[in-house]
Amino acid sequence: MEPEKFQELFHRLESEVSKVIVGHDDVIRKVLIAFFAGGHVLLEGVPGLGKTLLVKSLSQVLGMSFKRIQFTPDLMPSDIVGTQVLAESDGRREFQFKKGPIFAHVVLADEINRATPKTQSAVLEAMEEKQVTVFGESYALESPFMVLATQNPIELEGTYPLPEAQLDRFFFKLLVAPPSPAELKEILQRTTGAESADVSRVLSADGVELLGGMNQLLRQVLIAPPIEDYVVRLIHATQPGSSNGDPAASPVKQYLRFGSSPRGAQSVILGAKGNALAEGRVHVSYEDVAKVVYPALRHRIILNFQAEAENVNADQILGALVKQVPRT
Amino acid sequence: MRELSGQNSWENPERLVSRLVAQLSHQVLWDSLLCFSPPLLVFIYMAGYLYHGAWVGPLAALLVTLVSIGMGILVVTFRYRPLVPSVAKASRLVDEHTGAKDRFLTLATIDPSRSPAALVARLRAETAGFLDRIELRRDFPYHVKNSSYASLIGSALALLLFHLLLPVAHSTLTSLPAPQRLREVAEKMAARPRLLEITRSLQTLAAKLEDPRVAREERRALIEETQKKVGEQQKKEEQKDDRDLLGQAASTLKDLEQQSGAGQDRQKNNEKGGGGMQSNLPQEGQGKGKPSPGGGGEQKGEMSAQLSKDMQQGKTAQGDPKEQSGEKNSPKQGDGKSNQPDPNRPDPNKPGMEKGKDSAGKTQGGGDDKGGRGKASEEIPHGTPPADRFHQAGEQGREGIKGARYVTVQLPEEMAAETKGEKGGNKDAKGNRVGSKVPVSNVPLPAHVPDAPTETQQMPLEYRGIIR
Repeated sequence: MEPEKFQELFHRLESEVSKVIVGHDDVIRKVLIAFFAGGHVLLEGVPGLGKTLLVKSLSQVLGMSFKRIQFTPDLMPSDIVGTQVLAESDGRREFQFKKGPIFAHVVLADEINRATPKTQSAVLEAMEEKQVTVFGESYALESPFMVLATQNPIELEGTYPLPEAQLDRFFFKLLVAPPSPAELKEILQRTTGAESADVSRVLSADGVELLGGMNQLLRQVLIAPPIEDYVVRLIHATQPGSSNGDPAASPVKQYLRFGSSPRGAQSVILGAKGNALAEGRVHVSYEDVAKVVYPALRHRIILNFQAEAENVNADQILGALVKQVPRT
Repeated sequence: MRELSGQNSWENPERLVSRLVAQLSHQVLWDSLLCFSPPLLVFIYMAGYLYHGAWVGPLAALLVTLVSIGMGILVVTFRYRPLVPSVAKASRLVDEHTGAKDRFLTLATIDPSRSPAALVARLRAETAGFLDRIELRRDFPYHVKNSSYASLIGSALALLLFHLLLPVAHSTLTSLPAPQRLREVAEKMAARPRLLEITRSLQTLAAKLEDPRVAREERRALIEETQKKVGEQQKKEEQKDDRDLLGQAASTLKDLEQQSGAGQDRQKNNEKGGGGMQSNLPQEGQGKGKPSPGGGGEQKGEMSAQLSKDMQQGKTAQGDPKEQSGEKNSPKQGDGKSNQPDPNRPDPNKPGMEKGKDSAGKTQGGGDDKGGRGKASEEIPHGTPPADRFHQAGEQGREGIKGARYVTVQLPEEMAAETKGEKGGNKDAKGNRVGSKVPVSNVPLPAHVPDAPTETQQMPLEYRGIIR
């Protein structure tokens, strides 16, 4: 695939989703980057910001199968991955595997933190290995496969915060901010009027193949070794134990319990490549890295009690790191 | 810009980055050289200067120079190498200047063989579009860094300090005893056959200088003689090293001559004083002073400065306590105390003074006492002053005066009178001259100098109060 075609498709997808989602351009772009990079996205925001609508719109424009799972405390793993049911065929009774909602191209895990850890972990295998195992038998998921999970930062009572291992599976964690007054006005005009905006499908029937090509092109994007070194330094700087002599050590040692895993570096590089392609370039720049550092690492660095007590969030620490870690 | 485009059209982005690396490396090298060359040159200059001034030998000078050069090369290398920009840094600079968004960086640092050729070609084509935006000489001109200026100024200051401190060091180093310096020079000369004669002369001179029995006149004559020899040899000598050694010897001899000359001048000055006060304080450079040949008894060969009668009575010398405070520093004309001449003023009684000297001259050669005191006066007195000058209060002095804690001062007119009186012979039964019954100074009378100017020697402060 040509980079120009990638860019053209990317922009068409963006514009189509933007027809129903007012604002959140950055969120839309990042979701698309994660999708083309083969990652999953955790969307965090208060209710009513259009998280679910975003995911639904994305699946529509992509022309992919879409399933929504509303996570509740009583949700069972089998409700997600499927289960064996006793079925009668040709006079014989036998167990048949009934696929759960996880078997779709785009899966919306709505309010994922409301399910029990057991249920949450059921999604774990699907997200990482793109397969599920039921009664000892593995079932591969269709490609492309993307989980878009949402969680509410408020109303934490009765919720089960995602374990670090599961958080690490998400390519990006995107914060959905409340709309600005202008955006809110636009939302009102679009949703309270007689006409309703519909999104159209961008990808044709051969969209799956096309998406495969886009994914391959994204991974071929050129990245200079010094930029890779910079990413390595950034990731290394998030480790509280191994940042001796590093100028970025002070906030990290003070506020972090754990640093980013190597998956964080992968996310940064792939995200930067996706961003470069989206901007029509075939090489990664430092700016691309800076743009994806926050969504790629904010859920991978674990804050300590002092940070929470002092109301320091991950983005503040990452901001300090980006400033302090030298680029060359 | 069209010309610029034409200039850059032949090169690709990678070559541009390489050229920039080379250019920046040269600039860093210049920086290092400009930073470290001034101190290095100063070091070499100092070594050369010290060598030419015969402070250090040729080997030491060469060693210092070589070590300085070696250190300079090391320091320049150590400073230069880490500052040489890498390809990544240089390409980032180009990116910043052209706004190429790390295209130059990517192109200059990726391995094309491991990257998709299509993407590399596309990137190269994109990057080439930015070549027109940069001109290395224009965008990366060389500027002399502040460190270079600081180094230059610091080196100049060091040079200035060197020249300022050199005389101090010279005086410190040459404060060694002259004989020792002469021996050192002689040792150096000993290795040169042509200078053997000078070497022997210097060694002899050093030995004589250390021998207290050798008279000053003899020493001086020896110094002059050696100086002549050295001077003659210097004129003959063609080799630079030998000339330097002879120069050292000449310098040391000159110092010796100046010392002895200064001593003579000082003695002459002392001699010029008429009836001033005599002291036995250490005096340098009395080598030229005429030694008292002896004779004249105890009092012969020494100048007896005597107080006036009023002073002898203690009345005037000590002063009236009531008057002392008010008049101590403001002597009145006509007062008995004002009879004391101001040693700073020209002595109006010059004839008297001359007579006094005459009388001193007459004392030479007579009497049984063979100049013991006269000879002793040539030596530099050490330690405490003679007991007869500073008796304790109430103590019986040598001359039988109780409570005499002062030295006598003889005014010119008194000296004249005494001289006249001596003609009659103020001698005891043995024929020795009987001195006055007051404590006297033990400093010998200076040699007579005809038409000598008046004494300019300052009266020591310790005596002024007593006299007034």
